[in-house]
Amino acid sequence: MSADHTMAGHGLAPRSGGGVIHDIGYRSYEGERLSRGRIVLALCWHSLRSAFGIGRGVKAKIVPVLTFAIMCLPAVVDAVVVNRTGTRQVSYDTYTPAIRILVMIVFLAAQAPELVSRDLRSHVLPLYFARPISRLDYPLAKLTAFILACLAMIEIPLLILYLGTIAQAHGGSAIWSETKALIPGLLVGLMWSVLLASIALAIASLTGRRAYATGGIAIFFLLTLTLGRILIRVSIQSAAIHGAVGLGPVGHPPPAAQFYALISPFTVLDGVRQWLGGATKLSGPGTIGSPGSYGPLFGVMLLVFLGASLAILAARYRKVGIS
Amino acid sequence: MTVHSSPLNPGTLSAGGPAAAVIETTALTKRYPGPVTALDGLTVAVEPGITGLVGSNGAGKSTLIKVLLGLLPPTSGQAKVLGRDCASEASQIRTLTGYMPEHDCLPPDVSATEFVTHLGRMSGLPATAAKERAAETLRHVGLYEERYRQIGTYSTGMKQRVKLAQALVGDPRLLLLDEPTNGLDPAGRATMLELIARIGGEFGIAVVVASHLLGEVEQICDHLVAIDGGRLLRAASMSSFTQASQVLAIEVEEGTDRLAAELARRGLQPVAQQRELLVRLAGEDTFDTVRDAIADLGLPLNRMEQRRHRVEELFRGDQAPAADPEGAAHVS
Repeated sequence: MSADHTMAGHGLAPRSGGGVIHDIGYRSYEGERLSRGRIVLALCWHSLRSAFGIGRGVKAKIVPVLTFAIMCLPAVVDAVVVNRTGTRQVSYDTYTPAIRILVMIVFLAAQAPELVSRDLRSHVLPLYFARPISRLDYPLAKLTAFILACLAMIEIPLLILYLGTIAQAHGGSAIWSETKALIPGLLVGLMWSVLLASIALAIASLTGRRAYATGGIAIFFLLTLTLGRILIRVSIQSAAIHGAVGLGPVGHPPPAAQFYALISPFTVLDGVRQWLGGATKLSGPGTIGSPGSYGPLFGVMLLVFLGASLAILAARYRKVGIS
Repeated sequence: MTVHSSPLNPGTLSAGGPAAAVIETTALTKRYPGPVTALDGLTVAVEPGITGLVGSNGAGKSTLIKVLLGLLPPTSGQAKVLGRDCASEASQIRTLTGYMPEHDCLPPDVSATEFVTHLGRMSGLPATAAKERAAETLRHVGLYEERYRQIGTYSTGMKQRVKLAQALVGDPRLLLLDEPTNGLDPAGRATMLELIARIGGEFGIAVVVASHLLGEVEQICDHLVAIDGGRLLRAASMSSFTQASQVLAIEVEEGTDRLAAELARRGLQPVAQQRELLVRLAGEDTFDTVRDAIADLGLPLNRMEQRRHRVEELFRGDQAPAADPEGAAHVS
């Protein structure tokens, strides 16, 4: 059937519907051509949409919508609570750490493969590289898109929290102090987005098998987090037994605990946050409290994670897709 | 051929007249670590029209295409596409060139419309133009209502057409098609070749068709470039090939020897090859002579087939293709 259409050549082409359409013949394109930068931007926008399943089927939207809703929940609840108590319960710079970490792991593991593994799986990369964009434009666009997607996941709940709070605030000074508290929170969110998106995309770019990519990302983040927490707890306990360091609830943990905190990107992010002046301290088992004088070390480790991820991405896309 | 005047039109196509080369390589060499030499000092010029790039598997066809697109850097030598240097102006070349890879390159879970539209954007078309051209291009390759279905549900023939459509969507001046009939059944092959012929003729786009099947590309090509082991075997216009290479194969149920003698008596110099007799096809007269000979002897004719030599025979050595049936007799 389709063969007939092609054979029809110019003139009147028969159509399966029974009617005829007029074949106007080939028309060349005389219009505007986008620059390389704007093609990369188009790819970035396309990828950002696909990170939330937009333009894809219903199934592709389940995880992003669900994770986003869960992420917003504490902010919405807080907005309601503020109405009664008059004070905000959730801090901007840590938000709700347990929920944020878990939800972000799910989001990263589910959506990073959507951006890069699909293209690897279907061998579509040669088609991109046969177009005007250059080799590293592709990972650049994908990374930018995924960072923006993570930003939306992290910052929009903060903005909901902010709006919910200032709706109850009285007077300009209250609003101003609320805004001053928000800004560091947004910056922490930016730091999270850049690091987490880079790591997740680097892992996802290693395989075209979506299940492996999702598993790899989830295992990396969960394993490092759990391992780090266990080791921190063990080292704090053993230090307490040996009585080497006095331990208060937010006292300085032993140096070994600080090193163990460098294992997981999440504890690194929190260490850097506090080093850069974040006031809220996390407590509970497996947390180091404050990085103290080890702050710069956390900063270095963040750059190591980031650098390694970018290097993997660049190396991967320099080679892949031409064979 | 049609001369397009888009802002990106290099002008070299029209400026130099119809003979201006679309592709020009000079001592082009590509070595992979190994060491494998995929291209070995290849110097060739490809003119507008449809050009068949023939050679056996591993002859260097795909490597040549990748070097031309600037995807692989040449080890040495020079290559120019549409008057632009492949090493320094690759991005411009890729704007003006459509590429259809040999292997599967389609995501199964999007529709052809979405896919071709997206790749149109990646070719530098604004959103609206990409949509329009995707619809038009898919219609040109013969995909109508099907284009809204997911590609995963397509037949191989339809997938090949989507691959062709994505190469065409950016309105290229040159199309590089790598084994476009791969995996197609005979009817699908015929349709694809017809489509390529139409693109090269009616659409006025220069086309290079890489194939290991000479018998296929020769049906639609204006020029042939044959490479082997990364070297140029021969480049010439199609007509110069066909004149000398036509052979008529005859198979009779019995009395092959008697027919051979009879054909020889009538001056045709037949050569036996397995159960067939091969005679050089000089023109329409040859058919008549063979027909008369068989009829006079009253032999049961099984098959009479017009044939061309295979690539290896055609391009053996630097000589003109082995035109005489004796050449063919050595094969097999």
